[in-house]
This record gives sequence, C-alpha cells and structure tokens, in this order.
Amino acid sequence: MSNFTRSAQQWATFARSWFLIDARLQPPGKIASMCSVRLQGKHKPIYHALSDCGDHVVVINTKHIAFSGNKWEQKVYSSHTGYPGGFKQVTATQLHHKDPKAIVKLAVYGMLPKNLHRRTMMQRLHIFPDDELPDDIRANLTEELPQPRAIPRKLSEYTQEEIDAFPRLWTPLVWFRFFSGLRVLLMKTKTHK
Amino acid sequence: MVFLSLSCWIRSRGPDRYWKVQEVLKHARHFRGRKNRCYSLAVRAVRRAFVYATKARRLKKRNMRTLWITRIAAASREHGLKYPALMHNLTKTSVQLNRRVISELAITEPRTFLSLAKLARARQREGLCAVLGDGREPPGVFSRVVLLQ
Repeated sequence: MSNFTRSAQQWATFARSWFLIDARLQPPGKIASMCSVRLQGKHKPIYHALSDCGDHVVVINTKHIAFSGNKWEQKVYSSHTGYPGGFKQVTATQLHHKDPKAIVKLAVYGMLPKNLHRRTMMQRLHIFPDDELPDDIRANLTEELPQPRAIPRKLSEYTQEEIDAFPRLWTPLVWFRFFSGLRVLLMKTKTHK
Repeated sequence: MVFLSLSCWIRSRGPDRYWKVQEVLKHARHFRGRKNRCYSLAVRAVRRAFVYATKARRLKKRNMRTLWITRIAAASREHGLKYPALMHNLTKTSVQLNRRVISELAITEPRTFLSLAKLARARQREGLCAVLGDGREPPGVFSRVVLLQ
C-alpha cells in the first residue's frame, strides 16, 4: 500500500462525524449520557483519552425536554457568584424558563470527565431550543441518533376507531346510569317512608 | 607508540563526590525548576520519581486493561451487543482470546470482530432457547413465557 492511501485512511479514521439528537419529550439525563459518550469518542474502537477522537453532537428541541416525577419543581440548580451571600438556587422550571438550553448543557457538562479536555468537548456540543438549525451546521450532519424513549401518544392523536377498539374493564357511562338510577330508587323509597 | 594521556585522564577524573552527584542529576535533568540542577532538591525528587515508576509498573497493566475494555465495549455496541454479554458468551463458546487481542481485532480487523459478535449473539440466543426449553412450562407452573412464543 502506498504511503498516499495510508495517509488518506488515517484522515478518515480521525474524521469527526456530526450526530443529531432530537430531545423532544426525552429525559435530559438520557440525552446527556448519549452526548457525553459521543463527545469523548467512547463509541469508537480506536478510543484513547489523549487522541482527541470525540465527535460533534447537535441537540435540537431542548425546549421540549421531559423530566419525570416531580423534578420540575423539586430539582434544584445551585450556583455561587463568589460574593458574600451570593449563593443562588433555582428550580428546574425557573432555569428552563430563563434558558431552555441550560438543563441539557449542565447535564452533559456534569457527565464529562473533569479534566482540561472538558471545555474543548463542550465546544463540540451544539444545543438548539427549537428544531431550526443554521445552514452551516445542517450541512455537516451525518447521522441522526434514535431517541432513547418512545414518545407516548396523546389521546387526541388516536382515531375514534382505535379508541373504540381499546379493551375496557368497565364503561363509565353505563355505571353512571346504573348508580344514578339506584340513587333515584333510594330517594323514592325514602319519600315513601 | 604508546598513548598514555587518555588512561591518565581516566585515572584522575576529579573527586568522587562530583561523580556521585552526577549519577543523581542524570535522572533529574528533565525536571522543572531548580530540581534539575540543585543536588539536595534533585535527590528528593529523583527518589519520589523512582517510587512512582515502581508503582506505575503495576498501574500500567490495570490501565491498559480498562482501555481494552472501553474499546471492546465501543466496538460491540456498534453491533448491538453489550460488553458483558459479549465477553460472557465468548467464554461460554470457549473462545480463548484475551481483551488485548479482541480490541486489536476490533480496530484492525472489523469483520473478524463482527464474526465474534455474531458468535456471541448466537450463543446468547441458544442459552435463552435452552432456558425456555421446548416452549412448555414445567408441570404446575404458569408464566408468560408461553405467551411469548
């Protein structure tokens, strides 16, 4: 093999690919763990911590992320300004209203290794609150990653046939009629007495 | 003709202390600050460095193993197999390749690695089928396994 083709192979090995992740109705932690693996390059068999083989990750729709449980109210993001009395605490809801990119960004930042490469890897993370991308980033994209969670359908998205065909343990309307009829019967018996 | 000057130089080559200091400084020349030229600082730093080197000979083996495991995990994820599943099923099929060789295969011979992954996947399925048996439950047991088939 000539030296020329070998150098071309080398370039292809260390080429950076651009991944797209759609964060609509996804848990931020799962999105962040996918991002941190790709930013570090731990998804490649040639991985080495010093060889700087991480890829770019583009996360869209971060405005529509979905926390489970009561995390929107109870999860607290703390920071300190450095001045006396400068300890700030905001809930996830407040932070998300202030900056819809912040929750995903902080989650990824916390999942990356704490070393001098962390800022460099964060620069390869591109977060967008909506699904609108600038053309220069859209042109680079190579692969879209599957979402970690299946998005549940709303009741309004089901057709009437599907709703009718859904198996039911009891039909609410019949029971309502039954109980209301019973009540009328009881009241009648009371009035008779 | 006899050359005596060289042997005379070797015989009278300065005080012993100079050579003793040089023996230590030889190992400290690449250190930062005054440690690479002042003997009393250098001797301490060299001693620490040798201790680290001794410990690192053990650590290197450990670190290399974690690196191989990371690489194999990355390569097996490409084929939809988790690392523990791959290694467990390869040992079950008595593939006696160590982690270093498997990670090198994953880099330089991806198709060989793919066949290894397929082998592990087949063994995994086989184990599951063996557990399921012929699709029938043991007497007196009812579970969802019947419904899956």
